[in-house]
Formats: sequence, structure tokens, C-alpha cells
Amino acid sequence: MIGTIVYGLTIGGILYIISVGLSLTFGTMRIVNFAHALVYTVSAYLLISMLPFLGENFVPAALVAVAAVVPLSYVIERYVIRRLYGTSIDYAIIATYAVLLIGVDLIKWIWGATPIPLSDPVNKSVTLLGVSIPVYRLLIIALSILMFGLLEVFFRRTIIGKIIVAGLEDKEAAQSIGLNVDRYFSLVFVLGSCLAALGGVLYAPITTIHPYMGFQVLLLSFAVVLVGGLGSLRGTFAAAFFLGMVMAITGRFWGPAAETMVFVIMAVVLMIKPIEV
Amino acid sequence: MSTNRWDTLRRFDVIILATIFIALAWILTVHRTTDFIIFCIFVLAYDLLYGYMGRLSFGHMLYFGVGAYAAALTPEYVSGNPFAALALALAAGALVGVLLGPIIVRTTGACFALINLAFNQVGYFLVLIAFAAYTGGEDGKAAFFDKVWFLDFGNRTVVFVTALVSLLLVSYFLGSLTNSPFGILLRTIKENELRARFLGYDTYRYKLLAFTISTSLSAFAGWLSILNYTYATPSFIDPHRNVEVIFASLIGGAGSIYGAIAGGIAYMAISNYLPNYIQRWEMFLGMTLLLLVFKFQTGIWGFVSSLFNMPRTEEKS
Repeated sequence: MIGTIVYGLTIGGILYIISVGLSLTFGTMRIVNFAHALVYTVSAYLLISMLPFLGENFVPAALVAVAAVVPLSYVIERYVIRRLYGTSIDYAIIATYAVLLIGVDLIKWIWGATPIPLSDPVNKSVTLLGVSIPVYRLLIIALSILMFGLLEVFFRRTIIGKIIVAGLEDKEAAQSIGLNVDRYFSLVFVLGSCLAALGGVLYAPITTIHPYMGFQVLLLSFAVVLVGGLGSLRGTFAAAFFLGMVMAITGRFWGPAAETMVFVIMAVVLMIKPIEV
Repeated sequence: MSTNRWDTLRRFDVIILATIFIALAWILTVHRTTDFIIFCIFVLAYDLLYGYMGRLSFGHMLYFGVGAYAAALTPEYVSGNPFAALALALAAGALVGVLLGPIIVRTTGACFALINLAFNQVGYFLVLIAFAAYTGGEDGKAAFFDKVWFLDFGNRTVVFVTALVSLLLVSYFLGSLTNSPFGILLRTIKENELRARFLGYDTYRYKLLAFTISTSLSAFAGWLSILNYTYATPSFIDPHRNVEVIFASLIGGAGSIYGAIAGGIAYMAISNYLPNYIQRWEMFLGMTLLLLVFKFQTGIWGFVSSLFNMPRTEEKS
């Protein structure tokens, strides 16, 4: 039981980190950024490629992997999304999907399609009420709560953060008081991509790394964003941990149904509280 | 070519379309051409939502797969009559549309795309794992139908003729539907839903109706593909395959019946013959998609139309 709870919180923490990035781009730009899934996957692959160079040290390799997606996401935003943004949102969505397809195929080309397992970087466990729990998972939970705190400070205390929140909550109102919300899109996009990359490197040791890993996670984080409420950062936090627990509990009884259960809950939430966007 | 001659040509579109597909059946094989036709019907169903109503779905394989599995399971559990399978496939497609529609059609843009995809994922899971005892899971399900009267669907030519007649009927149906007041209202919703609502239309009802028509027609295409393949596998409902119909719709030109058919043929031709020469297939698809959205937004049909200076039917938002 303790094991299930810790597992649920771990998944919730990772889901939070990934979906808050998705929530940012989705809330401000109104596009589903399929490239989010690509960034997530790329970071995990960069992590395993960097590990041998950095003496198998997890933290520096993870930092390099997260930093490396900054130029990648900037290029995607600048040359794909921004060029299509004025014409049609549908085209921008299709274009990010095209970027995902190209990227996944490149990954298969470079690293191959075989799933790669990664060992636990901490490799220690603590015993809690007779259940052994990997320290790494506890670290993820702590880190996700820390990220929540940092993002709260960033969005409530700094002027850039406040502008982004204003854009999230009501873009037109923010524009009408003279804020050039669009100018902050690049920043939001890169920030969101970094969060996706962070989620990718954190989740990599728990699961196996394979080229299509981003696809599932993108859908799950999308469900988190919808259940939490569009443009609500605190809602995303609560929804991530709630759905993480749902996944862990469902997975305990019937493994393959864990992810489907999330979508069922998403459907129920949308039935009770339909979104009109 | 003057507009006048173009109009004359258009009057014979049924004959021209039939000739094109019969010629294709001659050049390729009957079985493969049937596959082309079925895909064209699927693209037509998809285009009703994307091209006319302006809703980009990333999960249309679900509705195709629902029809396919409903048809494939009929011989074993209900009856071997292929038309019973047809009725069940259509009913299943409509039922999914009516059940999921209220959740899906309220949304637009990115939400619409991804909610469809999420439900497609659920459907895939149900077929592959949850109901594997009935659907055969990864192995799929074979389906053989009884001979009804003179129609023996074991014969490839019969399936081909059925598919071709269906395509002509579906394109006629969609052609009159999209030119009716209902179709014009759909285009109004695409342009500006708020204004349509302001005029007093309950847009939700119309969107739900269009969505259900689209899901039912997709299920119909699923039934046809069961006739053609005589088995259903999870690839019929695989969410990763959604890009195919989006690609076809874009390359043909969204918002036009002929565009959808041109796109269906173009995609099937590309996907049937190019992978032999291209190693990195997904990359090729992605590159072409980027090219399409950047440089070639009106697609093949838009290009052909502008060549003949025809008044454009499709509107780009």
C-alpha cells in the first residue's frame, strides 16, 4: 500500500513537471505542442549518451540534457510555429506533429528502436513501515514540489511571470492593456520545453527509453491539463498528483489499464464540466 | 480551359471517377484499388469535420476501427449476413459519435484534436487488451460472410464494385449535404462560430450532427475494409495511424469532395509504392507535411482549381 502511494506520488510529480510545461504553451498559444513529446524523448536519449562522458554522474548529465533542448526548442518555435501562427492554429498543430515524426525517426536512426533500460542513479532504498522504497522516487517527489514552489514564485513575484499568467488567464484582456503577450511566446515555449526535458530525464531511470515514449506521456499530460483546468497552474499541480495516484492504484489491480483510466476520468470530468474553447 | 467547359466536365464527375478507379484496378490490382477507394471514403468522412467544419481530429482511426470491429465480430456473434454487419457497423459508429460527441464537439482547435486522440487510445486499449478474448487481441479476428442472393463478398470484384458504388454514393451524399443550408452552416461555424450563434442557430446541435455523420461514415469505411481484408487487426484502430488521413486530407486539399478523393489516391499511391525506395518513411511523411503546411496549403485540388481559374470552393481561415 505504501509502495503504491509512493509510486503514485512519483508519477504525479513527473506528470506535474511535464504537464506544467504543456499547460504553459497550450494556455498561451492555444496549440497542442506535439514537439513537447519530442523534447521529452530527446532529453532521455541525450541523458544516456552523456552518461559515459561524465563518468556516469547522473546530475551533470541530466543538466546537460535539459540545457541541450533550449536551442532545439527555440529553433522549433522560431522556424516552425511562429511562421504558421498567424495563418491557422490547425496548421501549427500539424506542423508540430510533423516535427515529432521527423524527430522520432531521427532518434530511431541515431539510437535505434530497441528500448534501452537505465539503472537507478541513487540505488539506495529506505524501509518505511516494512516496505522498501527507492530513495530516487522520494527525490523525484521532493523535486516536483520544489519545482512547484519555484514556479509559484516565478509566476506570482516576477514581472515576466505575471505577464505570462495574465496571458494564460485571459489573453485578450492582457493584450488590451498593452502587453505584447506574443513576444513572450518564445520564452514560454523554451521554458515549457525545459520542463518537459526535466520530466524526461527524471522518468528515464524508472521506465525504459524508447523512441515512442513521448507519445503516451503527451496524452497523459494533456489529460492532466484538462482535468486541472485550462490555464490554471495550481489546478495542474493538484490534477497531476490525483491522476498519478489513479494510475498507481489502477496499475496495482490491472497493469495495462492504468493509462486508460486516466482518460476515462478525463472524460468524466469533461462531462461534468464541459470546456468551451 | 474555360469555366464553362469545366462545368461540363463536372457534370460527368461520376463517370470520370468511375473510369479513374476502373483504370486503377486495371493497372494495379482489384484488391489494392478497393483499398484505395475505402481510404477515399474515410478521407471524405474526415474532411466533413476538418475541411467543412474546421475541426482537426487526431483520432479518427477510432471511428474507422469501431466500424471495422463491429463488422468483424458480427459473423461470430450475430449473423453471417454482410448487411447485418453493415447495419451494426453504422449503428456502432453513430453510437460512438452520439456518446462521445457531447464531450468532443464543444471544443475546438487543439483540445478537439487531442480529446479525439485520447479516446482513440482508449479504444485501442479496449480492442488490444481489455476485450482481447472477443477481438482476438493482437492476432486480430477473421470474418467471413455468407453469400446473399447473387452478392458473394468472397469475390474480389464484387467487393470492388460495392466499394466503388459506395464511394460514388458517399460523394454524392456529401456533395449535396455540404451545399445544403446545413453544409453552409457548417462552413459558417468554421469561419466564425460566435456569429453563427448570434444569428440564432444552436450550433452545438449542428456540430453534433456533423460529428455523428462523420463517425458513421468512417465506420462504414471500416465495414468495407473488413469485406476487403476479411479480418480485423488492432492496426485498424491504431492511434499512430491518424496521421495518414490528416496527410491525405492536406495533400488533396481540405474542404472539397474532389480534393478528398485526390488526397486519398495520392496518399495511398505514396504509401504503397514509396516505402520500397525510402528508408526513413516517417521522416519523409513529416517533411512532406511540413512542406504542405508551409508552401502548399490548398493541396492538389486547390492547385488544379487555380490552374483552371475556377472559383475556389474552399475557404482558408
